[in-house]
Amino acid sequence: MELIQLAVPVLLKGLWMTLSLTAISVTIGFNLGLGLAIMRGSDKAWVSGFARYYSIAFRGTPLLVQIFLIYYGLGQIRFVHDVPALWWVVSEGSRCAVLALALNTAAYTSEILRGGLVAVPAGLTEAAKACGMSRAMRFRRIEFPLAIRQALPAYGNELVLMVKGTSLASTITVLEITGYAKRLMSQTFAIFEVFAIAGVLYLALNLVLIGVIRLVERRLMRHTGPAPQTRPVAIPQAS
Amino acid sequence: MKLKVLSLIALLAGAASGAQAEGQLKIGTEGAYPPWSMADANGAVTGFDADVGNMLCTKLAMECVFVVQAFDGLIPALQAKQFDIIISGMSITADRKKEINFSIGYAELANKVVVAKDSDLAGITEIPALLAALDGHSVGVQAGTTHAHFMEKLAPTATLKSYATLDEMQIDLANGRVDAGFADVSALQSFLDKPEGANFQFVDVNIISTFDATLGEGVGVGIRQDDTDLKAKIDTALCELIADGSMKASSEKWFNMDISRPCQ
Repeated sequence: MELIQLAVPVLLKGLWMTLSLTAISVTIGFNLGLGLAIMRGSDKAWVSGFARYYSIAFRGTPLLVQIFLIYYGLGQIRFVHDVPALWWVVSEGSRCAVLALALNTAAYTSEILRGGLVAVPAGLTEAAKACGMSRAMRFRRIEFPLAIRQALPAYGNELVLMVKGTSLASTITVLEITGYAKRLMSQTFAIFEVFAIAGVLYLALNLVLIGVIRLVERRLMRHTGPAPQTRPVAIPQAS
Repeated sequence: MKLKVLSLIALLAGAASGAQAEGQLKIGTEGAYPPWSMADANGAVTGFDADVGNMLCTKLAMECVFVVQAFDGLIPALQAKQFDIIISGMSITADRKKEINFSIGYAELANKVVVAKDSDLAGITEIPALLAALDGHSVGVQAGTTHAHFMEKLAPTATLKSYATLDEMQIDLANGRVDAGFADVSALQSFLDKPEGANFQFVDVNIISTFDATLGEGVGVGIRQDDTDLKAKIDTALCELIADGSMKASSEKWFNMDISRPCQ
């Protein structure tokens, strides 16, 4: 009980950092990912090729390796020290973590959105073209709204993975939930209790997130009407 | 018959204790804290800790097996019976004693703060002045160490940055991400001797365990609380090693000074 009183306020401080890391990196990562998904559909080979190789590189390497490369790797390059804007990003662990998380989720987001874009029926795009819509308007009115409906369930999954991915920031001195939990571990040695509370915080955060995604999903899909009845209906027995 | 039953019980007890294989002493050590404990790419451990471990094993007529593990996970791993003892330059402190037992303290090193040569902290010569001046500065320490607890308690307004290993802390010092580093004098000396440490210097203040209890009672071997037999054997062996001068000789080999503590 005493331990809970000690650990919960400390871990809640970390919850704020976890939320910030997730929110900022998802905002950046979603926009980057959308750009990459559009690039994938480009006719120019080097544009679609860049997006494809970006996605392979960032999905094929562990997030922890990317975080270490950015934090310890970039920090050792003289050039990065000399450019104030670059050093501003690399000098602080939390900003390095945001950079790594954003670049990582951009790769996954681009794949998820690309799947959605590919699934848009060609007839709809052609009809919009026939109506005289410009390329940008077609994307805004037809392709993107349909693609996001397709992609939302998979993207919700990616958001949950991102929340959990922020825990790796603790390895580069960032004090988020896991960072504070590790510090509490070495102060109290009550490992089971401390990490159980940390786990509950992540779980609560993700449950809220999943709930929000469900709501958005239901709102976007309201044209399909209420979900079909799944309750078994009693069939009168023929006598 | 009686003997047979007894040996059967001993055998079962041995099997139940898991980590304690017959004739083998599994030693948990950090492996990234020169010159105490250095593990190479093949897992071979050298340094003062390795010497102490090997000398103990010779005395106890057992075979040493080193297990390399991050410092802040050593005590939990000992409790989980991943190994039998800890030899990792670990200071004996009141907090740690609640969890595990310790041998006698066999060595002690002074602790120091290292800063860039042009830092405003560089000229300080007193502990209280240094602690006050750390306000608003970032201090790098190794997670779970007495150094971390010391700074948490006595410099609460400094920004504490905890690293899993001292190597990572030194990289960040060299990269200018932290203003100061706090560790024992030998570990920091090896940093100053490297090219990355060329622009750094010690703050001329020796911080030893008599200043604050968070710094402990010297370095001891960590042992599980129920292993009282093992503790007795290790204490005796350590006293012999201190008395015959081998502890002194080994510490002079690694630290260029005698850091052994008298046997009490």
